[in-house]
Amino acid sequence: MNNILLLEDLPEIRAWLKSLVMQVFPHARITECSRVQDALLQVQSLRFDLALCDLGLPDGSGTDVVAKLRDVQPEAQCVVVTIHDDDEHLFPALQAGAYGYILKEQSRELITEQLQRISQGEPPLSPSIARKVIKYFANQNLPQANAMPAVALTERESEVLLRVAKGFTLPEIGVQLGLSRHTIADYVKQIYRKLNVSSRAEAALEAQRLGLFRR
Amino acid sequence: MPLPARPDRPPAGPPHARRHAPWPALLAVLLLALLTPLAGSAWAAPVQWLTQARMLPLQPGQAADWSRAQPVQLPDDWATSRPAQQGLVAYRLALPAPVPAAVHGAGDSTLYGLSIERACSVVAVWLNGQMIHEGGRFDEPVSRHCHRPQLVAVPAALLRPEGNVLELRIRGYALAEVSSRQRAGGLSAVEFGRYETVAARHARQLLFAIRLPEVMSGALLLMGSFMFVLGWFNRAQSYLAYFGALMVGWSLLLARLWAGDLPVGNRSAELALAALMAFITLATVQFLMRYAGHRLRWLDVALPAQCLLMPATLLALEPQRLYLASGAWYIALSAQVLAAAVLYLLQARRQRSRQLWPMATLLGVVALSLVVELIAQGWRLHSQVLHVAQLLPALGFLALGLRLVQQYGRALQTAEQTRAELEVRIREATAQIERNFAQLSELKVEQVTERERKRIAADLHDDLGAKLLTIVHTSDSERISTLAREALEEMRLSVRGLTGKPVKLIDALGDWRAEVVSRLQQSGVQSEWSAPSDDEVPQTLSSRAYVQTTRILREAVSNIIKHSGASQCTVRCTIDNGDFQLVVQDNGKGIPTELDGRLDKGHGMASMKGRAKQLQGQCLVESGPGYGTVIRLTLPLEQHTMAR
Repeated sequence: MNNILLLEDLPEIRAWLKSLVMQVFPHARITECSRVQDALLQVQSLRFDLALCDLGLPDGSGTDVVAKLRDVQPEAQCVVVTIHDDDEHLFPALQAGAYGYILKEQSRELITEQLQRISQGEPPLSPSIARKVIKYFANQNLPQANAMPAVALTERESEVLLRVAKGFTLPEIGVQLGLSRHTIADYVKQIYRKLNVSSRAEAALEAQRLGLFRR
Repeated sequence: MPLPARPDRPPAGPPHARRHAPWPALLAVLLLALLTPLAGSAWAAPVQWLTQARMLPLQPGQAADWSRAQPVQLPDDWATSRPAQQGLVAYRLALPAPVPAAVHGAGDSTLYGLSIERACSVVAVWLNGQMIHEGGRFDEPVSRHCHRPQLVAVPAALLRPEGNVLELRIRGYALAEVSSRQRAGGLSAVEFGRYETVAARHARQLLFAIRLPEVMSGALLLMGSFMFVLGWFNRAQSYLAYFGALMVGWSLLLARLWAGDLPVGNRSAELALAALMAFITLATVQFLMRYAGHRLRWLDVALPAQCLLMPATLLALEPQRLYLASGAWYIALSAQVLAAAVLYLLQARRQRSRQLWPMATLLGVVALSLVVELIAQGWRLHSQVLHVAQLLPALGFLALGLRLVQQYGRALQTAEQTRAELEVRIREATAQIERNFAQLSELKVEQVTERERKRIAADLHDDLGAKLLTIVHTSDSERISTLAREALEEMRLSVRGLTGKPVKLIDALGDWRAEVVSRLQQSGVQSEWSAPSDDEVPQTLSSRAYVQTTRILREAVSNIIKHSGASQCTVRCTIDNGDFQLVVQDNGKGIPTELDGRLDKGHGMASMKGRAKQLQGQCLVESGPGYGTVIRLTLPLEQHTMAR
């Protein structure tokens, strides 16, 4: 984790986040932005390993930055840092390619731990997000949503999602399915990835439908 | 009988006729009833028929010179015996003394009677030079009693055993002056016998000649007026109005049989009768055409014009030509009616109307009556045949009138039903529209509200949330940080309660489990969670209930983590009788007694209870030092399921 993008408009919070990130990744170079436009420019010119993006910004939504980063630097990890805990705000960011999310008001210790986990490839997944993902893929499989590149969840991934939706924690699910903690984390990552891929395909198809690709 | 001509008519079933009504059968029964009494005159007690008379025309102001009298045979119809003559005529008949009179002599108190079936137009009776009966007025306007049988009581005291002279004075008109042979002057044979015998026969004659026509006139007038009004106000059924007019016209026509004393002279009365024919023709033809659904515009003009033309021509001719002229008109009118009847029947046949045969029968009966009347113009017919011929059409009209009213009533009923159905449909449609509208405006209100809530929520997050967040992460005091964090959480839940949609209970259970279990785990408390499986939980929670329950649960878990020192916690969710029950039990040290008083300060028990109360539920806390704490939350589910 050498290059980290930090997108946050409130100076105090940005400072607080910065100190927190520096605590987790002492050697990282942190690029701070307070506006979407700045972040998009940075993304064009610098390579990032990790990006922490706030969602509600004065000049737009952090989701745009997440999507851009996904496009130009697929290997960068995007984490949403937000005050919104509801899936209506989070889900678009996850579809755009975010790998996880952190609620800003949580304690320093908790955020630190989550950040570490995410960076180690263990993104969090809440029951409500899991339900939303289940619903999303269920709709994708409807006959009318054809012409979609087949991005389907495996049985195991679905199993994990279902259990998360019922309120089981990831370690519990690991125990139930007889899988290691890392394997479960991999499933979750796969789920995030497939959500992103499917969403992008869907968006492309939608754009095509609107005739944006003509001319 | 007078009248020649007319109409007849029968209408037949209109295209909308439905099924055979029982009216042909009804008609048959009426006919039978009518004919039965005719057959009953066989028991004749002895009566004498006086058929020999001497006739002497009387000149006003001149004494009667009986030496110039001519013997005549009764009945004497002036139409054949003296077609051109009119005025006053006297008939003398010899009346032999009745047998019983010879037996009892002058003291005989038997009452005898004379019955004269026809004395046209008015008669007065003298017996042995004494007037014993005067049938009406002899001066203009002369009474018109051609159709009225006369009954004269003859007390035995007036009879002389040696023989009696009966003198009948008749005032009548020549055939040429009347429009029907039946109203030309004349005298029928005279019947003499005991009063009760003669009176009984007379009563029967009177019934057919006068009473029944009176009854028919009344019935036709009543029903005709009714139907006329009915048709007048329902233009679509204008044929009803014409049929009503026909009935009224026929009723007036029948009046010639029983209305004897008119305030007008013979000529005016005959002209009016003739004009009535034109009117009846108009009504009949129009009725048939319209009933057949075949309205001709030019008829609307031509027929009324004819109604004016006919009396005008008759008026223009001299009185002596009345019979011939009206006869010619009657033939023309009959032809019109016949044409209309044929046209109607053809039309009915083409439309396969089920009324075709009944109507054809009725038309036939009426036509037959008409023929009988026409024949009567040339030959003498039995009076009973004539009576039947006069009454049959009237009966037919009544039957048809009933039929038409029935059809009308049924059509009305159908229309009413249709209208009722329509009304119901309109009401349904209106209700549907109202419902849709209500839904729409509800939706609209919801959308607006939703938008507004989102705006408020966004503002809260962006402003209040950001500031609280800043406090959380910048405050030096842990207490203030915690307070701010809690405030932030409260704010978020409030916003969620504000904007949230109903939550499926099964989803809520998932959310709660994840939170409770991971929090307890992080704090090193062993947790056990039990909840009903998916298919047992179809209910939903309002977002308010979800948020409040989340808070209660969060508070309970916080208490366990912060205060109880418990190492184990069990959460049980059950659904029972429409109630949702949540039991949180720990094995901690319980709530110290000394805290009881101000339990709420640190433990938030009061707010938990208050929240449960808001949801019409309750929250019970059982605790004692040493044996942990049990929190029981019970919420009625239905209300939250409904509430939005």
